[in-house]
Amino acid sequence: MNRRAWVRLDNASNIFLAARSDVDPKVFRVSAEVDHEVDPELLQRALDTTFDRYPLYHSVLRSGIFWYYLQDSDLRPRVRPESQHTCAPIYFDDKRALLFRVIYHRKRIMLEIFHALSDGTGALWFLSDLVEEYVWLRSPEAAGTPGGPKLEIDQGWGSPVARGIPAPEPMHELVADSFSEHFAGKRAAGDEPKPQSGDGAARYALREAKGALRPKGGRVYRVRGTRTPDNRTRLVELTAPAGEVIALAKAEGVSLTMYLTALLLDSVNRASGGLGKARTMGVSIPVNLRQHFPSTSARNFFATVRVEHRFGEGLDDIGSICRDLDEQFRPQATREALEAKVQKLIAFERMALLRIVPRALKNVILRQINRANNRGLTVALSNLGNVRLPGQAEAHVGRMLFHVASVRPQFCAMSHAGELTISFTSPFVETDHVREFARRLTEAGVHVTVAATRVTEQELDEQQRAVVAP
Amino acid sequence: MQLEGAWARCPLCGADAAAGGAGASGVAVARPDPLPSIPLAFSRRRLFRALFLTSLAMIVLSLAAQLLFSGQQGAPGALRIVWLAIVTLWLVTIMAVRKRHNLAKGTLYLVVIVSAMSVYWDYLTGWHGWSLSFTIPIVCGSSILALMITVQLTRIEVGDHILYTVVTVLLGLAPIVFLVLGWVSTSIPSLICGSLSVITLALLQTTRGAEVRHELKKRLNV
Repeated sequence: MNRRAWVRLDNASNIFLAARSDVDPKVFRVSAEVDHEVDPELLQRALDTTFDRYPLYHSVLRSGIFWYYLQDSDLRPRVRPESQHTCAPIYFDDKRALLFRVIYHRKRIMLEIFHALSDGTGALWFLSDLVEEYVWLRSPEAAGTPGGPKLEIDQGWGSPVARGIPAPEPMHELVADSFSEHFAGKRAAGDEPKPQSGDGAARYALREAKGALRPKGGRVYRVRGTRTPDNRTRLVELTAPAGEVIALAKAEGVSLTMYLTALLLDSVNRASGGLGKARTMGVSIPVNLRQHFPSTSARNFFATVRVEHRFGEGLDDIGSICRDLDEQFRPQATREALEAKVQKLIAFERMALLRIVPRALKNVILRQINRANNRGLTVALSNLGNVRLPGQAEAHVGRMLFHVASVRPQFCAMSHAGELTISFTSPFVETDHVREFARRLTEAGVHVTVAATRVTEQELDEQQRAVVAP
Repeated sequence: MQLEGAWARCPLCGADAAAGGAGASGVAVARPDPLPSIPLAFSRRRLFRALFLTSLAMIVLSLAAQLLFSGQQGAPGALRIVWLAIVTLWLVTIMAVRKRHNLAKGTLYLVVIVSAMSVYWDYLTGWHGWSLSFTIPIVCGSSILALMITVQLTRIEVGDHILYTVVTVLLGLAPIVFLVLGWVSTSIPSLICGSLSVITLALLQTTRGAEVRHELKKRLNV
């Protein structure tokens, strides 16, 4: 009798289930651009091999009475040409399906993942192994055997407190999450007593969420726009020489992440046509916990930090915004601060009475927390850092890209082979803030290339006409 | 600034995108589009959802309306039969669409929906007890048999159906309760259904007891 391995969903992932929607199905994509048109057959073979090494990726998501859990399956993934819009939903209630897909288009190999399965770093491990295997299959005689030096992610330039992640031998099994490993059973210093009733627990959770995310500097500006016709994510990719942009960040004395964040806030401000009374902009920045708490798990292991800037009070030039954000970010991204924050969340999750609240009700509570969270945010961003691929893959891969579906304007950055890619996603048709962002960069002398998805009927019709009558 | 892909206008500033070199706008097409054009797809989904929600609302309103006219002069009569039949048909269709990924869960939902509808129907038409005497035992008994056959013939994992099967079988014990309470006019359907449930439960306990406990442990994990 085949009794399936299963493991409970981690602390961070439960929110993805509760917060997913048509607009934001909680899917993200990491892509690698190889130096030739992708061969689907070889990619399938590479996927088969890589998939066998990642039991975590075999799992499907099931729902218990109280929690979701991941369960092993016999399903096998098939590579497909890109035929759905970017970050299309992966998980559907009651549908037994793998939580990721591998797709290709021209030179791109793309991995899309439902966020409850893994985070950006975990996904990057899978993608790099896949690409390494693919490159090896393409020319086995020239490239030796796969399994050379492991992927390196240098987040040192991305985050002011980050250190490069030492080439790990990641754990790909369906195992307990790193949150339990590092934080379970510990209590954050100064923790107040937890409420004992279910209803009190919900109120406590909301208060905690609001407290943690409440803007300090007044009403938060939120970007509005026209929703895309079929809820697809509007994606705009900017590619620029990494060195040139890093030089700009260095000139301001901050990390690349802080520089790009400041640039984004400035761009949103310029594109807004006046902020009105809501002159504070809140930003959510995920921090990879593997930097501080050793983990080889490919499952989610990150925490988010919130910073903000209030326009119209003091200086609003890029340098001033940079320093304002940096001063807020640094103390929040230390090991101690992150530990305290995550322990609080874990303690909340493990509250005895909350545990016995049925899953459906927990989802309602988590959705409310997520709403409270969203009200305090203008934009979000995520920086995967500078990546170095293993083996021969390094020489055959150019740009690498990363983006997520989002309910608010967001950008994701990563860098490979000297090219920095900044992928903007938004649920809106408008791209005004991206235009301003690109302008700021080009004005600073950076050469920028733009790619974008077509989201409106007009854009798609124009493309159709261009194909019919070239 | 350069553009990737053949854009008639720059997707950022709306300026004309000149192929082959930077035009007055400074926008030029540099490389083939790395992102494919995916046709719009979701208007269908929105329509489907609207249809789905409208159907549910109509069903609820219909049931309420039936209740309102119950026992009044000029009650719908034969029209009610058609009405309730249509409502039941829709409910079953909606259930089948929603729960199409798990046959066992679908069967359980079917038993609940059809049983509840028949009791309501019986109540509206003057309460003759046919729902408890015949419909529920027949629906429960047939579902147990159908489930037993389905899980043997289709590739459905034990873990995926065992709990729903157990609940369906437990529901099959309800007609015995009706019988004991004296709510039924004819005892044979209830006796057959009850016996079938008891036999199946005993069978499940001996052959699948460990799986049931394993599934319960997973799903009741707090």
